[in-house]
Amino acid sequence: MRPKACSPACANASQVLPDTMDFVVTTLLNALTLISILMLVGLGLAISFGLMNVTNLAHGEFVTVGAFAVYFVQSVGGSFWLGLLAAPIAGAVVGCILEFAIIRHLYSRPVSTVLATWGVSLILQQGLELTFGLGAKPVTPPIEGTLDLFFTVYPAYRLILIAIAMLTLLGVVLLISRTSFGLDIRTVIQNREMAEGVGINTRRTYAIAFTFGAAIAGLAGGLVAPLAIVLPQMGVNYLANAFFVVIVGGVGSIGGLVAGSVFVGGLTSVLNYQISPSLAQAIVLLAAIVAVRLRPNGLFNGASR
Amino acid sequence: MIARDRNWLVIFAVCVTLAIVYPFFADGYQLTVIRDALIFGLFAASLDFFWGRTGILCFGHAAFFGIGGYIMALTTLNDAIPLGSVLGILGAIAGAAFVAAIIGYFLFFGGIRGSYFTIVTLAMGVICQQAAVSWSSVTGGDSGLIGIPPIAFDLGGLHVDLSQDLPSYIFVAAIVAVVVLALWSISRGRWGMVLTAIQDNEVRVAALGHNAPLRLLATFVLSAAIAGLAGALYVCMAGLVAPDLSGLLLSTEVIVWVAVGGRGTLLGPVLGAIAIQRAQQTISSFNPSLWPLLLGCVFVIIVFVLPDGILSIYARLKSLFNGRRPAQ
Amino acid sequence: MSDVLLQAENVGIRFGGLQALEALNLTVRDKELCCIIGPNGAGKSTFLNLLTGTLRPTSGSVRFLGHDIAGLPLHRIARLGIARKFQIPSVFPSLSVEDNLKVARWGASSPVRPVGELLDLVALGNRAATLAGELAHGQKQWLEIGMALAIEPRLLLLDEPTAGMTPQETLATAEMLLRLKGEFSIVAVEHDIRFVRALNCETLVLHQGRRLRSGPFHDIETDEMVRDVYLGRR
Ligand SMILES: Nc1ncnc2c1ncn2[C@@H]1O[C@H](COP(=O)(O)OP(=O)(O)OP(=O)(O)O)[C@@H](O)[C@H]1O
Ligand SMILES: [Mg+2]
Repeated sequence: MRPKACSPACANASQVLPDTMDFVVTTLLNALTLISILMLVGLGLAISFGLMNVTNLAHGEFVTVGAFAVYFVQSVGGSFWLGLLAAPIAGAVVGCILEFAIIRHLYSRPVSTVLATWGVSLILQQGLELTFGLGAKPVTPPIEGTLDLFFTVYPAYRLILIAIAMLTLLGVVLLISRTSFGLDIRTVIQNREMAEGVGINTRRTYAIAFTFGAAIAGLAGGLVAPLAIVLPQMGVNYLANAFFVVIVGGVGSIGGLVAGSVFVGGLTSVLNYQISPSLAQAIVLLAAIVAVRLRPNGLFNGASR
Repeated sequence: MIARDRNWLVIFAVCVTLAIVYPFFADGYQLTVIRDALIFGLFAASLDFFWGRTGILCFGHAAFFGIGGYIMALTTLNDAIPLGSVLGILGAIAGAAFVAAIIGYFLFFGGIRGSYFTIVTLAMGVICQQAAVSWSSVTGGDSGLIGIPPIAFDLGGLHVDLSQDLPSYIFVAAIVAVVVLALWSISRGRWGMVLTAIQDNEVRVAALGHNAPLRLLATFVLSAAIAGLAGALYVCMAGLVAPDLSGLLLSTEVIVWVAVGGRGTLLGPVLGAIAIQRAQQTISSFNPSLWPLLLGCVFVIIVFVLPDGILSIYARLKSLFNGRRPAQ
Repeated sequence: MSDVLLQAENVGIRFGGLQALEALNLTVRDKELCCIIGPNGAGKSTFLNLLTGTLRPTSGSVRFLGHDIAGLPLHRIARLGIARKFQIPSVFPSLSVEDNLKVARWGASSPVRPVGELLDLVALGNRAATLAGELAHGQKQWLEIGMALAIEPRLLLLDEPTAGMTPQETLATAEMLLRLKGEFSIVAVEHDIRFVRALNCETLVLHQGRRLRSGPFHDIETDEMVRDVYLGRR
């Protein structure tokens, strides 16, 4: 059975018990599962929090919405893969509405953004609860069973999850480095005034980037749905962890995102074998705070503040 | 400035008078309702002292409330500890202050402000609640601890027993009045003025010889200590402690109390806490899951319609009124 | 020499590929007044940052009373007796003029001048209750000088104290500084030649991060090369 707490950490550490031999490989793969999810969730946050300076406390709800999309599609008879297609779309729709209705009016008021997005997060949670009812929602993975990896046997779905996450990340890197929209984003981030000067519609670019981040977080929610406990309140754990990823890794580079995810995800996975999940979370929080104290600009950035 | 101080004192005096005459008109149950609301008002004032004076939002303030509550519960439930009520309250204050000092040290001296601070404290709140749930051998897990005795002690001839409604009401009301008055005098004196200056320009304050991070840390620790005190009082009055007391929902509600009552006024948040809890009880009696939904709406409404709280309606009407007069 | 307060020897700083300052020397004796001038981007503010320990030089050394103060927390530097007026006026807009000065005094290890005297010194006696954010630009600059005075400094560094002032205000500021001369050392960075002329003190001319000339102002003023730089001929 799955443990009660619903953090991604416990979800991933739960099933595969360590055997003496395959312990290392299993731990590594568990860590990799968590790291993949964190990277996807953190990506949107790195865009909104890191680059646009918008503190969106409803980011966790994109994950929730993605997971519920998969649940909904399955519950009306659709396949998991159809649900996984719906997840980023659901995330994007919610993100887009949020950007238009709220965030773009509050770019210059950071505390107001925090309050308003938190309000939206509560509304979404309760909305989901009123619509779908109380209790955890079952989501079945597309493939049951395990794969023999020579050192260990590992659930096949988790390997698929890791692969999809990596491919998505690669796609994002290509999108940002190779396309003209990616160039727009990079220009706006580097210098907003200058970007406006050369005729880039910064508002539109922000809106698209924000929606894009929400879609990726929705995808992450869809991917994690078969492993996690799908509840309207599941988002907040992803929110906190994703913020740590961005804070620890620093903003502005994919390298930072990877470093932050490895730090948070790796530490959580390793600690989860030794101690209770909430103590592990507390230690990760403390480690993240100490890391920030030592490297205020993130692990990946050399320059000082 | 002077006029504003006088207004504040007048409103404070009115509130104290109301608190004094209230027991003459209320029955025991109504007294306990207001008493509990006042404890949350104290909690709201503690957040306002930090948020209102520094402009930095703490999103996990219930962690300190909960820490205070659990320390109080564990101390008074342990028969081996003499003077459990007194030591429990002191321990609750010290425990909350200690946690705030550790977290605050790393954040403030690490140059972390604004949204970063908000997020780290949010995570702190989440973790505190999880810890309260999972460390069940000590905290009683999900269901918490029950049977916490009311405050009672004999200290140097002073005999205090708060098992009755009226004494407990008076005790709580007096503490709230004293603490709010003390916080107010601190925040309008030297300490508060330096904090205002830090909000305006922290680098400049440091260049004048002030240790700005230390000042922020001290403010945060004091704020947490009072939250711990409120938590301790609450569990003795309620008789139980549960993980919710350090949870995200309470952290969220206290922000609403402060925002609705008027950030930076100290008294407004106390009134906000009382008023909103009344509303919450009414609404929850229809449908319990409606409340978080409404809470969410209140956040959005505050931001877009009433950024300065309920009390600002009066100020706005006044300026509207004064603004029109000469034109006529 | 025992009365040397601040000594910069052969200092330079690099920002990535940009050598912002190179091989600069400056000695400030106790109670001495000196000026640093130079065109935009010459490195004057950066030089002040080195002198106050805000930045660490990549070569050479800066010593205040014989100690290396680079990298100390800002408030410790202030408590050593270094006061600074920033280039961008940075008063506390939501406090009154009087409270601005109070906050400044509380930062000092041993404040001497009462607030009333400070108000008179910087000609803001009749604006004590005004919010600092509502002051005129020139008055903000004066308030900042008053705040710097409030911490009873041994060394006062002023970054463009007369920027945005009318000619009369500029002269009034120069007179203000001349009145304070002899109480502590002052280093003023300026663009405005009239102001520097009124101060008539030892002057260092910076150009593209290097010393172009230094000496008494009347020698500098007549120097061909300095004129070229200011008239933009090179
Ligand atoms: N932190 C920094 N990183 C990179 N380059 C910098 C930094 N600070 C200053 N510079 C560069 O150093 C040079 C000198 O700048 P500085 O601000 O000291 O000039 P200034 O003489 O004060 O000019 P102004 O009269 O405009 O105030 C400029 O080219 C500036 O771009
Ligand atoms: Mg400059």
